[in-house]
Amino acid sequence: MTSPPPVPETAVPSPPAPGLSRRRLLGHGMAAAGALLAAGPLSGCASPASASGASALSVWDLFQGGDGMLMDDMIRAVSSGTDGFEVDRTILDWGPSYYTKLAMSAAGGRASDVAVLHLSRLAGYAPGGLLDPFDLDLLAEFGVTRRDFTPAVWARTRHAGAVYAIPLDVHPFIVFYDKEAADKAGLLDSSGELAAMGSPEALLDAGKALADVTGASGILFGHVTDTAQSWRQFAALYAQTGAALTLPDGGPAEIDIDAAVRVVTFMQRLFDGTTNPRNLDYNGAMAGFLGGRGGMVMLGEWELPTLKKSGIPLGAAPFPQVFDKPAVYTDSHSFVLPHQHDPDPARRREAHRYVAAMVKQSLTWAKAGHIPAYQPVLAEPEYAALDPQSSYAGAAEVAVLDPPNWFAGAGSDFQNRMCQPLQSALLGNTSAEKAVRQMVREADALLRRPNPVA
Amino acid sequence: MSATATTVRPRRRPPRAATGSPMLLGHGRLSRVLAGTALAVLAAVWLLPLLWAIATSVQSEQDVASPGLSPFKGPLTAEAFRRILDRGNVTLWAFNSFLIAGLVTLITVTVSALAAYGFSRGTFRGRRALLAVTVAAIMVPPQLLVVPLFEQMLLFNLVDTYAAVILPQVVAPMMVFILKRFFDGIPRELEDAARLDGASEFRVFRSIVLPLSRPIVAAVAIFVFIGAWNNFMWPFIVTNDPDLMTLPVGLATVKDAFGIQYAQSMASALLAALPLIVVFLLFQRRIVDSVATTGLGGS
Amino acid sequence: MTTIAPLGTGRQAGPPGTRADGRRRTGHRGTRSTPGSGLLFVLPFLLVFALFMAWPLAQGLWMSLTDSSLALRDTAFVGFANYAEAFSDPDVWSSLGNTVFFTVVSSVPLVLIALVMALLVHSGLAGQWAWRLAFFAPYLLPVTVVTLIWTWLYQPDIGLANQLLGSFGVGPVGWLSDESVAMWSIAALTVWWTVGFNFLLYLAALQSLPSTYDEAAALDGAGAWRRLWSITLPQLRRTTFLVAMLQVLASLKVFDQIYILTKGGPNGSTRPVLEYVYDVGFTGYRLGYASAVSYLFFALVIVVSLVQLRLFRQED
Repeated sequence: MTSPPPVPETAVPSPPAPGLSRRRLLGHGMAAAGALLAAGPLSGCASPASASGASALSVWDLFQGGDGMLMDDMIRAVSSGTDGFEVDRTILDWGPSYYTKLAMSAAGGRASDVAVLHLSRLAGYAPGGLLDPFDLDLLAEFGVTRRDFTPAVWARTRHAGAVYAIPLDVHPFIVFYDKEAADKAGLLDSSGELAAMGSPEALLDAGKALADVTGASGILFGHVTDTAQSWRQFAALYAQTGAALTLPDGGPAEIDIDAAVRVVTFMQRLFDGTTNPRNLDYNGAMAGFLGGRGGMVMLGEWELPTLKKSGIPLGAAPFPQVFDKPAVYTDSHSFVLPHQHDPDPARRREAHRYVAAMVKQSLTWAKAGHIPAYQPVLAEPEYAALDPQSSYAGAAEVAVLDPPNWFAGAGSDFQNRMCQPLQSALLGNTSAEKAVRQMVREADALLRRPNPVA
Repeated sequence: MSATATTVRPRRRPPRAATGSPMLLGHGRLSRVLAGTALAVLAAVWLLPLLWAIATSVQSEQDVASPGLSPFKGPLTAEAFRRILDRGNVTLWAFNSFLIAGLVTLITVTVSALAAYGFSRGTFRGRRALLAVTVAAIMVPPQLLVVPLFEQMLLFNLVDTYAAVILPQVVAPMMVFILKRFFDGIPRELEDAARLDGASEFRVFRSIVLPLSRPIVAAVAIFVFIGAWNNFMWPFIVTNDPDLMTLPVGLATVKDAFGIQYAQSMASALLAALPLIVVFLLFQRRIVDSVATTGLGGS
Repeated sequence: MTTIAPLGTGRQAGPPGTRADGRRRTGHRGTRSTPGSGLLFVLPFLLVFALFMAWPLAQGLWMSLTDSSLALRDTAFVGFANYAEAFSDPDVWSSLGNTVFFTVVSSVPLVLIALVMALLVHSGLAGQWAWRLAFFAPYLLPVTVVTLIWTWLYQPDIGLANQLLGSFGVGPVGWLSDESVAMWSIAALTVWWTVGFNFLLYLAALQSLPSTYDEAAALDGAGAWRRLWSITLPQLRRTTFLVAMLQVLASLKVFDQIYILTKGGPNGSTRPVLEYVYDVGFTGYRLGYASAVSYLFFALVIVVSLVQLRLFRQED
């Protein structure tokens, strides 16, 4: 039992990329097992991470879609050359699973060196000591400063005077469409882009026209058992009505019930189960669009690489404005330093260098559909040439993020709780009024809870 | 793997006891046919999910994604398995599962057998009270303890170590109880003779009681191993580092295919299912006995 | 301390076996052993028991009286505030309700189908080995394998279940997305997964039944059905009680498959109390509150155990 076991080939999720090392990870386990076998439980205190002494940087993210592959490309790019990084990448299940694991690993003190965090989640991590702040001088040394980001985004990276997140992108929830189908359905404008909708009826009609063209469905939207999709759509449409949404600690939530009911009623009409299916899950909607069983699909722009590969003549547009005001639901992937009990300064330095190198790679990241947060990249002509990314670059300007609160944000229990009544409403199991009332109840219940990170 | 299972013969046929009493059905032809049909239908229903998973795993993702009831919609391919094996996660997690389940079994059986012998033969003060506490502890669901155990692991700084996965799993009052009851039934004469010859208690335990208890120890070991192999909640809670995860935890936590790919998902499920199914095919009789003897707490 | 009372007479409420054991009275005397002997054998167990059972039990109780958080900050004593909150938290009640509902809809078929399977296999048809494999194999699958396979079967668009229904012109059913269906879907998966365990218990019981009554009845001309109802099933009473008790306790502890499949959704309709513990404790950071909910769950388990024990005693 004490002899070293055979070392499995790889431990990394993605297709093996040069320069990625998994040794450290196995080292972890072996060190712990060795400690356990040799000297009993408590010797496990010797941190396996430092015991292995390897230099590979462990990074966590939640990119399971097409962008996950581009993240691989970026890691490969920063791993090449003499001062390339050795990177150990781990992809965890998007959503509460990822964020729970991130918090638990940070509490345990053996967290990864760098992790990705949605900016909308910062309020649940930075105040609780689950993240360590960035050293801006160090970042500047590697060529990244606050001037490289828009003030609006930068403002959400701070807590108590320190910067806890370096944004990589801004990523809106948008629509993709089949250009041929949209053309036949008469939905394109003179420049070949999706024409503005402007009213709920226009989007309903667009669905019908697309359904006629495809012979199956019009607009596809996967939400069943999903814990974010219907919230994204709701939040976008709700913001379009011009109503405000705030979540003050202690409650109650400030939300315009009439506007919310109007939005949910519209969502029910849009996904009526005949023109546009109402019972699709995320992958079902993807598969349907890829299989030509729908002319338009509502997705995050991060699915762009997967959709592009299909060969469908792909168009993209910001989420259509159907109510009074343009608004698109958005979040921002950012890099953070999960808390480590005993960080090694040299590794921390490497972590800063890595984050700086990665944001400079965000032209690659833009291929994933994301809008780079690092402004110098946006100015490059290569970015302007990206199609269809340029079609929705404007979405960043009408971005709506979750209101900041410890329990809100991407992949949060809050979004999950908001999605449940929305899903029931979309499936026809409950009315729009009841769904909205439940959403308000859920939000109030969350707000009444004592804040565990304060 | 069930497809191959039906063609693989067990090394030994189960003894006659396994074939039930034909009396139960009487001699009527009709009742035999009815029973046979019912059994066949049940078995088909029970095997269908596995067979469907196998069929899915040997096709291309595109074929799998197209609708239709035919199990095979295109040419067969081992692509999904190749990709999963190339990635290596399943292999690593299988290794972790073996290591963790193996160590849990080893420690649990050792600790429990020793304790059972102490409870059965010992005369120390407080023996009955401790036994009573042990028996009462059978009622404590391990799931109750996950929150304080995690807090404890934070305190010991053991989160994300094998030790944290293994140690809380080795407390098995039920197994102590089962083993003690078995030891109680072993006649004393043999041991007394050895003791008269000056053998130490440990020697008596090792060379007389343990060899006589081999079947029950094996049953307990198998039971503990299956339990540890399939344990999900605690390992899931205490490991965040994917390289320390067991098969069920890794498969549920780490996502390594970009976008859902059902052929790959079925391939990884089948690969993860394989080890214990193979073990079952090899040790069918023992495993069945183990469940039968330990399943009801030895009663 | 030289004379030792018969073993296993622990008086407190233990599992079913305790009593049976106490009654057997295989009484022996620890004669030649020195006083205090045997403690060393028990010591390793006592150590792990104290560390990983007694400690967390006490720690959990303490934590339930604090606002202990996963986030790194100081903990304060809050008295019974967590319990008060839990009693008025609708999610606690709905998750306890879901747990009980799951226990009922899973336990009944898990006992009945296991019994039917065992009776059929015991009837002596050829292929014993294959039947046992078919019914027991799923039990050996790790939970994630089971959920991966069933996620695929339940896939709303191209999954087998809906395609089969579709070929009869029915559906599609939102197996995991429809609030009124999801828990049944999970129960079905659970029956498929774990029935083999109960099946083996029944099979072992059947094989150990004395055949004399059955043969005598057969000689008297009693038909197969008659003998099943009047002889075999009554003989299985005790086994059925034990299997049902264990099953109920196992079902109350449901977490794994539900967490992986639905995360408690849709709309919290499948969330069992243990998942609520995980959700509020780890995802929501509130370890203190989660401990309080854990102890409410423990209370449920103890009440159910005591009721069962009482029924069992009456039956005996």
